[in-house]
Amino acid sequence: MPRRDAAGPAVDSPDAPYVSIVLTGRNDGYGGDFIDRFFRTLRFNLQEFQARGITYELVFVEWGPPHGRPLLAERVFDEVPELEPGASAWYAVDSQYNAALSLNPRLQYLEFPAKNVGIRRARGRFILTSNCDVFFGRRICDVLEQRGLEPGVLYRAPRHDIELPAGCKVIDWNVLEDPAVLAGPAHRLKPPFMGSATGDFVLLDRASFHDIRGFNEVYRVARIGIDRNLLVKAMSAGIRIVDIGGPVYHVNHEGSYRLNPTAYAGREQEAPWGDRRWHSAGVSYVNGPGWGLSAAPVREEYRYHYLEFDWHAVPQLVDLGGVVLPVARPGHPAPGRYVRK
Amino acid sequence: MKELLVRLMGRVRLVPAPRYHSLARQFEEARRSGDNWKTRAGEALAHVKSLERDVERQSRLLKDARAELDKRRRAEQEAIALREQLAATERELVRAREHLMAIEVKLDILEGAANVLDSRTRTIVPQPTDTSAKA
Repeated sequence: MPRRDAAGPAVDSPDAPYVSIVLTGRNDGYGGDFIDRFFRTLRFNLQEFQARGITYELVFVEWGPPHGRPLLAERVFDEVPELEPGASAWYAVDSQYNAALSLNPRLQYLEFPAKNVGIRRARGRFILTSNCDVFFGRRICDVLEQRGLEPGVLYRAPRHDIELPAGCKVIDWNVLEDPAVLAGPAHRLKPPFMGSATGDFVLLDRASFHDIRGFNEVYRVARIGIDRNLLVKAMSAGIRIVDIGGPVYHVNHEGSYRLNPTAYAGREQEAPWGDRRWHSAGVSYVNGPGWGLSAAPVREEYRYHYLEFDWHAVPQLVDLGGVVLPVARPGHPAPGRYVRK
Repeated sequence: MKELLVRLMGRVRLVPAPRYHSLARQFEEARRSGDNWKTRAGEALAHVKSLERDVERQSRLLKDARAELDKRRRAEQEAIALREQLAATERELVRAREHLMAIEVKLDILEGAANVLDSRTRTIVPQPTDTSAKA
């Protein structure tokens, strides 16, 4: 009998890891060589964490895994020996959830409801949401090693897109920090929102993440801009947003939005990430109490948890009361400006 | 004797020649002086009239200046009021745009939901295989 998952740990348990890394992905060949890129990145990040004694938990959400292909959970422990089963929480989410949640059939992967599944269940004192092909830079590892994070502060990191030299098999700091591998100018974070490739690095204490109820899962019409929208919500909630002081690295790959953000100019509604012109900087949101599919029944499998489909776990299709205006706070600029579509 | 003669001549309205010439000179000087004063009085009068006109003109200018000053003060107050009104309108505009954004986001959600429900309905309701329309 599947058990119903609670809303996640309410308070920090004494054995809670310092940081939970929340990632989402699936074995669908995204970007051409998803598994290779993911495992290579994961090995590097875990090696760094372990070398520095950072206590961590990897929370991975396999969102709607495709039929006929092995789960990532079934391969990762063999191919990434650094990953200790005791330091990971792996969730596979029934593919019916994507269809049930979607308000835009072009969105084949609801990335942020998937991340919310992980955020809701993460145990770490701090939660870092990122992407599978993002290497954490040296400064980030330093801060985590020194336990230098403060609650009530949302940390952002700029993204450096890189092109690895042909035949490069081993990733180390020499490769990542070589200015010659930079594919274009490094991104800079601009106050107050510190936006730009936000989905690649959002780090916040678990209590604050629960207070704001994760990423927006009321507006499920687009995937793009949901990460930035979290920053609007955080600022509106009085959370300070700061640059952690060093970059993350992302290896360019085919299908990356960054490589061609205007590919759907003039036909935005056809874009697989939704219409990027939605007012992500101008509105805030209030997720329902069941955010992160907290009511989904969970079936235990070997080395992973399976979230079975249940309509009771699905938020209502339309929740207009969940769309709210952000609060302007003294000393901060007015929340987003109107942009005509 | 000379004095008696002069008195007697005076009785018949005669004066000695030197006296006559002296008086004639004094008379002439007095007449010239009178003319001179008349001219100067005329000039002074004209100057007074000119000054009066000047005073009148300056009074008019002062009056105009005061009217202009009042007008400018009123305009300045109107400008202050307009600026306040503009600031209030701008605040209202920002609020209106914020609400517009929220409304557009809600419309996106409603449109998405309508499309999803339409799609779900189409999969549930079977497509008629034959038309009932008669030729």
